[in-house]
Amino acid sequence: MLIVNNPSGLAHEMPEGHPERIARLETVFAVLADVDAERMEAPAAREADIALCHPQSYIDAMRDAQPTQGMVQIDADTSASPGTWEAALKGVGGCLAAVDAVLGGKHKRAFVATRPPGHHAEKSRAMGFCLFGNIAIAAQHALDRHGLDRVAVVDFDVHHGNGTQDLLWNEPRALFISSHQMPLYPGSGAVHERGASDNVMNLPLPPGSDGLAMRSRYESHVFPRLRDFDPDLILISAGFDAHARDPLANLLWEDEDFAWVTRELVKVADAVCDGRVVSTLEGGYDLQGLGGGVLAHVSELEDNDG
Amino acid sequence: MAETPIEEMSFEDAIRELEKVVTQLDRGEVALEDSIKLYERGAALKARCEAKLKEAEEKVAQITLDATGEATGAKPVEGL
Repeated sequence: MLIVNNPSGLAHEMPEGHPERIARLETVFAVLADVDAERMEAPAAREADIALCHPQSYIDAMRDAQPTQGMVQIDADTSASPGTWEAALKGVGGCLAAVDAVLGGKHKRAFVATRPPGHHAEKSRAMGFCLFGNIAIAAQHALDRHGLDRVAVVDFDVHHGNGTQDLLWNEPRALFISSHQMPLYPGSGAVHERGASDNVMNLPLPPGSDGLAMRSRYESHVFPRLRDFDPDLILISAGFDAHARDPLANLLWEDEDFAWVTRELVKVADAVCDGRVVSTLEGGYDLQGLGGGVLAHVSELEDNDG
Repeated sequence: MAETPIEEMSFEDAIRELEKVVTQLDRGEVALEDSIKLYERGAALKARCEAKLKEAEEKVAQITLDATGEATGAKPVEGL
């Protein structure tokens, strides 16, 4: 497999005490150091790549908002430092490079270790620690530039992937599936939100529910829907904040639950798209939970990788 | 706004704030970092409301016992 690292994410500073902190990415790099995989550094995306999903006016506004020193607040909990722009461009670029590598046949699976995350960024709105919709842009790139017929995005971050939903809402060739705690930030993700062409599936999970509850929902809803959709590529928004240890949510998943969901998604990928999976890091704010979850996830991506 | 500790709130105050919390969470008006704190406050308010209801239920049960004079035990009033 391929691991795409975005070390520029280590220079994306957030205010003191903020949960989406540099130590998260340091933790991820550390736990993945011994994984047997080819590695590459994330290249910067071009603005034309980001424009696959975001209007140029928004890209301009984000670029112009970047400080040369200090920090600027973009949203209630999203801010930018001098290192943010490069980190954000390389987060998108890392996802595109991972898609290129997997669709080029060099690897079956890839994981992108990056921050800032992306799944809350809407078309013209940065929010929830996110600037650009990394995984949605990767999906659009795979459809428009690689000519795939169908791409699925599965988001198991504990928060609803409102940004990905917004960016792919009108894209019938993309199926977006999000499981998330409800009620919780950002408040969206109800079952009745189904996309313009029934191409969105939301699975709200009750606070306090554990990995067994998740497994039964994935078995009854996610895997059958994925198999029916028959995608050419499966993308994953891999957040690890559904972990029991996480301070920002109340789900009770353990490392083994992240291993299970990954293993089962790989099985679906093996059946429908020659095992092709590209995953990218979203949330996860307890360093031990994040490290354990990421290692469990990536180890399952690595297994049986041809 | 001076905050009354939840454990000292009246039922009316607790349920009014709980409704506000639920609305805020539903509308997504809360920052990601604060969302969980608000949810947890909601859970504490819900527990307070339940405790106050239980208190009321016990009082009503007591009244029922006094009024009927039955020695077989208290009967909670349906609906409380």
